[in-house]
Amino acid sequence: MSRFSRRDWLRLSTMGAFGASMSGWLENLAAAAHPERKRSCILLWMNGGPSQLDTFDLKPGQANGGPYKEIATSVPGIKISEHLPQLSRHMNDMVLIRSMRTKEADHGRATYYLRTGYVPGGPVHYPTLGSLFSKEMEQPNAELPSFVSVAPYRFFSPAAYDPGFLGPQYAPLVVGENQQSLIPIPGRENNYEEGLKVQDIARPEGVSAERETARLELLRDMQDDFLQKRSAIPSLSQRSAYERAVRLMHSSAVKAFDLDEEPKKLRDAYGRNLFGQGCLLARRLVERGVPFVEVTLGNLGNLSLGWDTHVENFDNVKKLSQVLDPAWATLMHDLKQRGMLETTTIVWMGEFGRTPKINDNRGRDHWANSWTTVLAGGGVKGGQVVGKTSSDGMEVIERPVGVQDFLATLAVALGIDIKNQNRSNVGRPIRIADPSAKPITEALA
Amino acid sequence: MVVRFSAILAAVFPFLMLGDPAYGSDTQKLADEIDRHIAGHWRETATAPADRADDAEFLRRVYLDLTGRIPSAEEARTFLADKRADKRARLVDTLLAGSRYVAHFTNVWRTWLLPEAGNNFQVKLQQGGFEAWLKEMLVRNAQYDEMARELIAFPIEGGSEVDLFIGNGSGSPLPYYAAKEFKPENLAAGTARVFLGINVECAQCHDHPFASWKREQFWSYAAFFSGVKSKRTMDFILPEKDEKDKRELKIPGTERVAQARFLDGSTPEWKQGANSRAALAEWMTGSNNPYFARAAVNRVWAYFFGAGLIDPIDEMVGGDHRPSHPELLDILAREFAAHHFDVKFLYRAITASQAYQLTSASASKSPEDRALFARMPLRGLTAEQLFDSVAMATGFRDSGGSDNILSGLLGNNRSARAEFLTRFANRPERTTETQTSILQALSLMNGKMMSAATSLERSETLAAVVDAPFLDNERRIETLYLASLSRKPEAKELSRALQFVRKRSSNEAYADLFWALLNSPEFIVNH
Repeated sequence: MSRFSRRDWLRLSTMGAFGASMSGWLENLAAAAHPERKRSCILLWMNGGPSQLDTFDLKPGQANGGPYKEIATSVPGIKISEHLPQLSRHMNDMVLIRSMRTKEADHGRATYYLRTGYVPGGPVHYPTLGSLFSKEMEQPNAELPSFVSVAPYRFFSPAAYDPGFLGPQYAPLVVGENQQSLIPIPGRENNYEEGLKVQDIARPEGVSAERETARLELLRDMQDDFLQKRSAIPSLSQRSAYERAVRLMHSSAVKAFDLDEEPKKLRDAYGRNLFGQGCLLARRLVERGVPFVEVTLGNLGNLSLGWDTHVENFDNVKKLSQVLDPAWATLMHDLKQRGMLETTTIVWMGEFGRTPKINDNRGRDHWANSWTTVLAGGGVKGGQVVGKTSSDGMEVIERPVGVQDFLATLAVALGIDIKNQNRSNVGRPIRIADPSAKPITEALA
Repeated sequence: MVVRFSAILAAVFPFLMLGDPAYGSDTQKLADEIDRHIAGHWRETATAPADRADDAEFLRRVYLDLTGRIPSAEEARTFLADKRADKRARLVDTLLAGSRYVAHFTNVWRTWLLPEAGNNFQVKLQQGGFEAWLKEMLVRNAQYDEMARELIAFPIEGGSEVDLFIGNGSGSPLPYYAAKEFKPENLAAGTARVFLGINVECAQCHDHPFASWKREQFWSYAAFFSGVKSKRTMDFILPEKDEKDKRELKIPGTERVAQARFLDGSTPEWKQGANSRAALAEWMTGSNNPYFARAAVNRVWAYFFGAGLIDPIDEMVGGDHRPSHPELLDILAREFAAHHFDVKFLYRAITASQAYQLTSASASKSPEDRALFARMPLRGLTAEQLFDSVAMATGFRDSGGSDNILSGLLGNNRSARAEFLTRFANRPERTTETQTSILQALSLMNGKMMSAATSLERSETLAAVVDAPFLDNERRIETLYLASLSRKPEAKELSRALQFVRKRSSNEAYADLFWALLNSPEFIVNH
């Protein structure tokens, strides 16, 4: 395996299988280089805003505390929610940032803010962080896209999920969207298996491989003719997108989406639900070199709006924790076993936290003044807590962290130069992190 | 009444409405002015312009630009066979009088005025009401200044969430205010950007570093909107009844109070109780305003040519950007105002110009100076243009479902159109920079809609072509080219297609040819 990597074999077999007729479509593969492997990122996005007081920053015994108990973790002195028991064993590899202070407390605005680093409304179309970071980390001619988004819930802020000024070539490959409706629909409860496959990846029913080859040859001729006289961004990008799409269709790498290849026991451990299997998919993708994968934990299809627990916070957070805990803990374990945890940074966050004060519906409302995010795995100095909130949870009393600081920390953990620039849609160059951003150095390995 | 009647006439008998006789000669005069200035720069820079686009290229372009879709095979055939010398101008008149014009420019104006619909949940929900308002304006061919006045001076009553979302059927510009979160500073920045071509946003926080806008100036302008008020509920921002005569605003972080002042530094003579926003609307659209008409013609120019005469189009004043053709910009603005801000007059003149009618083909691969307008650039299609063109080419009929986003939230079936629009959203402001994503390519190659469209059993166009007994192979191929690319195949293409069809000896070959045509770059760009 020293001279030929697994990827090379996949490439060779792909080319062999389709022979000369497909060579026009697949020739770029041969030129694929092997740049030094950078780190990967898995973003666990908690849609709706998770309660910090009932996950990673508990205030037991306080008026705002709620009924949950704290449990000890593998790191002495750090305690988390009793409903995250598996995760508590991985604290050595995790940093809890308990001092997020971010100002925006509206779903749409905050989603955009946390996912792009900027408040919405101006003329610049900022890219979502998956697009921004994967562009820095991508490998030329990779078979799989550089950014995969699993089960996104885009309604709060569609722009917070798109590549903005970077353009569609940095758009995520989306799987598992619209798999969970707000209301339970008979017969649609267990459709996540199908949902985690890439849409439209198979050729249309009734079209044979020979016909497909014939179609693509014809298309290639048409592209060549058109581009000969009209080669500009729209036509060049069309050709490159089609090349990458065809490559994906015929690549064995697309097997990454075939979760049946995994042992049943492992699949059970992740949890047989959209988020659990989504985390397993994330591991399989990262394993195949995909630099950025995000997995959303939103509603559980039971009329609750995910982490947006205005009503019956404690029942709902418990249910969500029971999905989160096995999935995330198994992901950490699985990555570690494969020697990949050191090169994979995991981020846990939502758009904001929840009010320390418990409302009349035993719920918690939107809160951006003092809340928690988590970094884990590669590039991170695990086993510590950054920042501190007051005993009632209302204020950050140590080391406030803003959105830009947080995102810059993640970028540095991933080995990205935060001074790198992209040209924005208004012509102005924009850095990976705003010049004002201060990475949390003590959280970095 | 006269206007109404002619609108009805136009809808029923478009061929009767061959241009407003009062404007007919003016249109050509302005088109000639355009060409005189554009050609002047070619001479100065020794630039060889591209050739004139042939009929088919012009046809497809003008259909996409004015109606948002490609022509049908039949429309293409008719136009190509037309021998009249003025057939291009006639076509433009017909298209501007049709209902597709209204539908398309409703989309166009919505993206210009309401770009936030893409990233703001509340605005997305209210989009329908805004579109209904635009549609009303377009149906009665309201002049551009009237539209601006109605938007800027729109009286705001208080409202509940129910009013906002249930009352979607009747048109209202209120979603514009929602998109700006009912904040004076956002309304100021937004209206200056779209109606005056001025980017004052930076001056909100500090004196503009590059341009000459001062912070004080920005807040004085924002003070016209100071009467707009709102309240925030759990998930939405709702309007409250506005204070129409309020016109002062405290500059954040200071003790200074800015009094309403126009961007040119002048102040209206206020009468007791005068409506502040109405006064702003009058100034903005007044004949003395140096920015209003220029911003409009520059935006329209950029729409048709892929770049403005000043570019970027919302930094026309006070920055470093100079017009490529200053005199032309002045003439266009002057004529637009003199013709009562009639946008159709502008569309007619531009599409009649030789500059607009240049081919996009080029032998050279080296990039050219875009500001010379010596060749038509390639422009990407909007999601709506692409869907409607696929539907037109294939005879696709949506099998129902809803366009409403709430419907998707509730897990209901969404229409094929709604799903398509979601997947092809995120088009850049600059149509010349439109890109295709992998998922978009997959969906065009293998998606449900495209599969149906290129299936022998389910595609209307294909079935008609394959089953027609009176068509020979050549005519079949020609029809597929006309249906998808709005042109006849060149000799080389025809022989290639004939060979393809003969080799396969099955009707499937036509389906495959059609598939390739619909997936070709020629189909998914406006050239």
